[in-house]
Amino acid sequence: MEMFLDFFSNTGFALADYRNFIMLGIGILFIYLGIAKHYEPLLLVPIGFGILLGNIPVFKGLGLGIYESNSVLHYLYLGVTSGVYPPLIFMGIGAMTDFSTLLARPVLMLLGAAAQAGIFLTFLGALFLGFAPNEAASIGIIGGADGPTAIFLTAKLAKELIGPIAVAAYSYMALVPVIQPPIMRLLTTRKERLIRMEEPRQVTKREKLIFPIIAVLLCCYIAPAALPLLGLLFFGNLLKEAVVTERLAQAARTSIIDTVTILLGMTVGASTQADVFLTGKSIGIFVLGALSFCVATAAGLLFAKLLNLFLKQKINPLLGAAGVSAVPDSARVVQMVGQAEDRTNFLLMHAMAPNVSGVIGSAVGAGILWSFMVG
Amino acid sequence: MTGLDAILHHNGFAMAAVGITIVFTALVTLSLVISQLHKLLLVWDDRRIYVEKVRNLFSSARPTEARPPQVDEEIFEIHYFDDINESSRQFQILIQAMGEPFSLPELIQIAQSFGIEHAHSTVSHLIVKNFIVPDGNGFYRWNQDALSEHSKRR
Repeated sequence: MEMFLDFFSNTGFALADYRNFIMLGIGILFIYLGIAKHYEPLLLVPIGFGILLGNIPVFKGLGLGIYESNSVLHYLYLGVTSGVYPPLIFMGIGAMTDFSTLLARPVLMLLGAAAQAGIFLTFLGALFLGFAPNEAASIGIIGGADGPTAIFLTAKLAKELIGPIAVAAYSYMALVPVIQPPIMRLLTTRKERLIRMEEPRQVTKREKLIFPIIAVLLCCYIAPAALPLLGLLFFGNLLKEAVVTERLAQAARTSIIDTVTILLGMTVGASTQADVFLTGKSIGIFVLGALSFCVATAAGLLFAKLLNLFLKQKINPLLGAAGVSAVPDSARVVQMVGQAEDRTNFLLMHAMAPNVSGVIGSAVGAGILWSFMVG
Repeated sequence: MTGLDAILHHNGFAMAAVGITIVFTALVTLSLVISQLHKLLLVWDDRRIYVEKVRNLFSSARPTEARPPQVDEEIFEIHYFDDINESSRQFQILIQAMGEPFSLPELIQIAQSFGIEHAHSTVSHLIVKNFIVPDGNGFYRWNQDALSEHSKRR
């Protein structure tokens, strides 16, 4: 009997407290949203399952928990804390992304820049609430709506916040179809939402080949700290466009990105142990994260309206909302809101331009914040 | 520390202002460069014409009436052969990936999915120049010898 009681005292049932069960509920909710509602399933399912793994209470010292230095999960988590996984994901994104619409209409890139205002305004908001500057920078980057970028910067500046920030970033990315439409309708008139975009010009293969080289050199000379993310993003894109490296591009956009997404999602989920996740700071992060998304969306929309004051050929201001990266969800939302007004208005292709420039902009923003904090 | 004091203490306003300015600078510069890229490439393509114009400026005394048609022909030849060599290289890789024999519609479809321009006319050129040859069963094969023949001719 004594042996049985001793064994029972080391089981999850005896070690768990109510916070573990709250986290288990969140994990199951993520899995449900991913599988049943199709909200970013490739991310929410691994993260949700990781949350389940991270909230099984374990006996300390056996090397089981993610925060124990000799555990398997800890080794897998090193890819997150060292900032290795996010650039690899960027390489895969680069190998998937077609920059044609951006090359055809470069002015749309400015919408991607404007939406990054969300990062810096949230940074101020976090400082206002009493977060340390490195934590404020990590929270601000949620406004970039780019999970890998948020994880990368947080790994560099505030490792202890990776769990809440990653969960907040990916949750809001999954909720883009819920968060953005009301703001889009609030800040635009029906007449503006009906604006049709001009057909983009044909982009040549040579332009697509030269673009990643020019872009990486320009952006990284201006913001060198963006090198790990943008370097691999444009490298992946060069692999895609070169044609002769199709095998490498294929590996980058399939097996590599899939493997890294599994490891990243699962370990980030497992890092949300109740005792480190359910804190007052996490609530602040979630509130500021939501605010950040809203501000970024509004900044993109308002900047598009501002641009229209100067442009002969007006652009549909809804495209501004796609400036928050969240590729390709925010572009899909633009299409959805645009088609709600006019079924024959196809904005998706045009929205991809600010969408991918948002990825570049948020990586540059992360690089800048990183250099500010370590400088 | 919280509130405006915290922002001022950590120099937050300056960091935010400089940060967004740098993001804008990077993306505005990039957009300016890529907006001119296709024009620069057109100038590069027609570089011989521009070089010829500059030469003519400095040698205006020489009679040049008979020259322009020759220059145009030369440029056409160079562009044509540059394109066909580049196209043959790209299509050879696609065909290797597809496997032989292959069908033309499938090749054109794959080429278009990779963003290769004018896939129809390029394939037509490659057939005319014997890079792509029929296998007699309704499919086609890549002719490895064609490239070396063209190189010799050039």
